Amino acid sequence: MTVRWDLLLIPSFIFTFVLLTLSQTLFLEGSFYRDLGLGRTSDEFDFSNYLRAFTDGFYLTTLWITVKVSALAMIGTLVFSFPVAYVIARMRSRWGMILLSGIVVSTFITIVIKVFGIIIIFSADGWLNRSLMALGITDAPYTIIGTQEGVVIGLMYFTLGFGVLTLYSVVQTIPYSLEEAAEIHGASRIRMFWRVILPLSMPGLVAGGLMVFNMCMGAFTSAALLGGGKVFTLPVLIQRTIMMEVKYSMAGTLAAVLLVAVILINILSIMVLRRMRVARGVLA
Amino acid sequence: MSTIDTETRTSGGIAPVVETGTATGIAPVPETRAQRTRGAVRWQTRQAINFWLKWIMVILAYVFLHAPLIVVIGASFNGGGEYAAIEFPPVSPSIEWYFEIPVGQFESLGLSFALAALASLSAVVIGVPAALGLVRSNLPGKALIGIVFRSPLQIPAVVSGIAFLQMFYLIGDTTGFYAQGGFIGLAIGHIFIAIPYVVGTVVAVLQRFDHRLEEAALSLGASPWRTFRRVTLPVIMPGVYAGALYAFMVSFGDVPLSIFLTAPGYVTYPVELFSALENDFDPSILASGTLVILFCLVVMIVVQRVVGLDALLKIGGTGKGR
Repeated sequence: MTVRWDLLLIPSFIFTFVLLTLSQTLFLEGSFYRDLGLGRTSDEFDFSNYLRAFTDGFYLTTLWITVKVSALAMIGTLVFSFPVAYVIARMRSRWGMILLSGIVVSTFITIVIKVFGIIIIFSADGWLNRSLMALGITDAPYTIIGTQEGVVIGLMYFTLGFGVLTLYSVVQTIPYSLEEAAEIHGASRIRMFWRVILPLSMPGLVAGGLMVFNMCMGAFTSAALLGGGKVFTLPVLIQRTIMMEVKYSMAGTLAAVLLVAVILINILSIMVLRRMRVARGVLA
Repeated sequence: MSTIDTETRTSGGIAPVVETGTATGIAPVPETRAQRTRGAVRWQTRQAINFWLKWIMVILAYVFLHAPLIVVIGASFNGGGEYAAIEFPPVSPSIEWYFEIPVGQFESLGLSFALAALASLSAVVIGVPAALGLVRSNLPGKALIGIVFRSPLQIPAVVSGIAFLQMFYLIGDTTGFYAQGGFIGLAIGHIFIAIPYVVGTVVAVLQRFDHRLEEAALSLGASPWRTFRRVTLPVIMPGVYAGALYAFMVSFGDVPLSIFLTAPGYVTYPVELFSALENDFDPSILASGTLVILFCLVVMIVVQRVVGLDALLKIGGTGKGR
């Protein structure tokens, strides 16, 4: 066929490329001018913002908390989404599709509404706290808002549906006959899980896990609302640095740190997956 | 697939090796009849525990995912007039809050809807040719071009938000036109984050495209354009629908990007909800939230009827929520 497909690419590419480079380079450049506060920046090009980001205890703590809650949320997401994905993928009645649409709907609904629900559930005079106190489990109302656990749970709301959908497609690629073979040879379900299903879904788990980790690192809404102004992750801090402190170039620096972290995770995941594929090739 | 029926599959309650005693595999050979029975019982107990554990995890996950939504819907039906509190389960059921939704909330819902529609439409216009070019041309550096198209998905939305904010400031300083805090600024940001979804899903469909279909059409005398319109386009349409749907939903629910680009009068619904939760809110926001949940449900049902959910998921562009 004599269609020039590459010509088709050009307008779209120019549009995306211009938006991408223009926006990303401008804030990166701005991040190299020292922030004087209240929207003013000095004219000298230096690394003072970066120096501050990596020496100031507050920024370092924020970075550490971001990594920590993201890692915990990633583990939680994988642990919960794998059984769900497995059960749905191995279901052959139309219930599988119904369960799956339940997941899809909940991923599509904006996270703000879900967080709203969480806030109501954990409100001081809410149903949960009243029953907890009536049963004598706690004396004071328990809340997850403003705690790191709360942020982890909020992040899981953000990623769980995505995790299920990703792992669902992973489990679907594992032929059921392999499980039957293991079963016929007398392997228990648990053994079959550890020796057959898990190794086969490992590349998918790693890819999905790193993607979930990446999403958590950049997640803003749930972290901001459940952090309740007490727990800060990097995206929340970036937004506050601009909205409350009006420090554009400092926020730019923090955003650059976040961006580089995310890019590094992406590169890492590509490398790990490539290595795994090679290892699999050797085994086969 | 196997011929074993579903019940046996999910419960896994068969222990062929132990029962027949012709063990050739991993399982130890039982000595006496009693041992054999005990072994089988233990084996079945383990299977049962495993089976229930799996289902408990599934139920927990569903409760976890859907409880907040049910709470929001339930609490929106709690009346009580001036002394109304947010209560779940509702104490005095009424639908009064649905009549108290302020006009402002409908305006922001309208804005969000318009933005999402524009973003997904533009993403289709930009993304479909891009996907065709990416899969079918043999340009050098195609991988890099692909990265450019996917990058809006990888860059955290907060970063894109401040990047666009600063870009609009700078453009405003030189041209006098400030795009932030207006429809245009929001639209540019939303189109930017919507593009990768359409590119991703359409690329996935095109990679599985059977070229013989096009060859057949061409050899039967159809013009390239006619071939594209009558053969290629219908085949890639599910991918376009899926990408547009993801793009719409991401744009419709976005906070981290929009929060930097909104201004009084141009607040999207999620951002309005966000600031209400950070500051102060009255139960009318529960009612509008319920309407949004219903809207998403209706969209889902329509999609299920028109495209089919399995087709949507098999495309593989599960995308990435925000």
